[in-house]
Amino acid sequence: MTDWFYKRTAIAGVGRVQYKRGTAPGSQRHTLLKAIEAAAQDAGVDPSDIDGFCSYGDDDNEPVKMMHDLGTKELRWSSAVWGGGGGGICAAVAQAAAAIATGQARVVVVFRALVQGDSGRLSAAVSAHHINWHYLLAGVTTPVSICAMRDRRMIEAKGVAQSAVEALVQADYYHAARNPEAVAYGNSFSVEDYRNSRWIVEPYRLFDCSRENDGAGAVIVTSAEHARDLKKKPVYLLSFAQGAERLGRDLLENDNDYGSAGFETVAPRVFQNANLTPKDIDVAQIYENFSGQGVGAIIGHGFCGYEDAGEFITFENMIAPSGKLPINTHGGNLAQGFIHGMGTLIEAAQQLRGESTNPVAGAKHSLMASGAPAPVVSSMILGNEA
Amino acid sequence: MAGGVSSKDADAPYWEGLRSGKLLIQKCEACGNWQWPAVYRCSDCGRWDPPWVETAKKGTLFSWTRTWQNFPGLEPLGLPFISVLVSLDEAGGHRLMGTLAGDDANIAIGKPVTGEIIERTLHGQAMPTIVWRL
Repeated sequence: MTDWFYKRTAIAGVGRVQYKRGTAPGSQRHTLLKAIEAAAQDAGVDPSDIDGFCSYGDDDNEPVKMMHDLGTKELRWSSAVWGGGGGGICAAVAQAAAAIATGQARVVVVFRALVQGDSGRLSAAVSAHHINWHYLLAGVTTPVSICAMRDRRMIEAKGVAQSAVEALVQADYYHAARNPEAVAYGNSFSVEDYRNSRWIVEPYRLFDCSRENDGAGAVIVTSAEHARDLKKKPVYLLSFAQGAERLGRDLLENDNDYGSAGFETVAPRVFQNANLTPKDIDVAQIYENFSGQGVGAIIGHGFCGYEDAGEFITFENMIAPSGKLPINTHGGNLAQGFIHGMGTLIEAAQQLRGESTNPVAGAKHSLMASGAPAPVVSSMILGNEA
Repeated sequence: MAGGVSSKDADAPYWEGLRSGKLLIQKCEACGNWQWPAVYRCSDCGRWDPPWVETAKKGTLFSWTRTWQNFPGLEPLGLPFISVLVSLDEAGGHRLMGTLAGDDANIAIGKPVTGEIIERTLHGQAMPTIVWRL
């Protein structure tokens, strides 16, 4: 199926610069250029050879404004995914792959940058995209409140065990503690710390929430053929899917399956496109700006159901190297850092290159799920063989 | 943050209804289905401009959250406050957001709630809204 497309492109390089929120020494564009240069160096391509650009989440760095700094020889293609949330990450990679597979571009960078002084708080930017008077008058002004109400519905009406949420948070912090590039590196973290942390917006406590960082992430996508000639081991792009259910999302909380993370129509396509099933996935990077929505994404991809989530989503099952489904092996958005999910994408690639600080030995297939519960979500499957 | 409400917005009659003390929701005259959020065109049958019909301020608690964190601009709500998502009993189960007032000791998904229209000033703008009570 669609053999001309899937497996024909690959991630060839990754780059990230990350700072504590509000502390980036340079401007947003400066920060982003550093990340793009790092990704190009990682791949072994010259930054001036990048001829395509793609982003998501209302990123405001127009590619043409970076052409001078990058020495771009020719801009051949640029695009962005609709939507203010993190649901566009895999979709942006899919667009890049499509541009390459159809000959519109040769080397595409997928990027996202956040520097508080320039782009403001991410939560405020996402809010500006979605929040209107219906939300504001209800005291709902940021994504945390939207996700909190969705999580309560998922947990109470669909019967998801609270232990599953705790296990996801614990797994994130466990991996982060072992990742020098994580904000929670070296931290000890226990379920008691979690349970004793202060309420933010019920059912979320402090540790249920991601930490916004200043920084930028960049990923170089090129053809599989080209990637094989470059510096690093190619990470092949086996499948993509994006979307929303009928009458779905961004409709004043009136989507049909409100208590889900939004993957029910997307996940079957991402597996079908790759001719794989959840059992074939060795490791997964699950975007979680807030804990329960990550649990919803795992369920939404069919790794378990709502009722048995507590049995499958346990700390032991979620951690590298030997859990049934190690997730967020860099620490996730919760504990590695949050540049609108770019860390998740970078780890998805690094894990299959054998570069993760929490390696899953012999991993062949990696799933990435982006954006729960953004209005449009997307997923992809990566592989270390085409 | 949320900007003004334009008379051309699909939901303009909703706000006008609240200002006159009524909860109005669209009901398509062709297929009979309730529509919310506001549409220009019925999502079920495609008929344009579904009319606005008064419905009871009665519903069922679909989800809720209690906010403890101070978010800029929400100071008039005090802390903590409860946000609710209410499924409207007479309007096809479509859901409205609002806040909860009064006794919340027995709050739970599935509980019946009744609404009252009030005016709330946020960001210097007075707007009509519904507060719900268990």
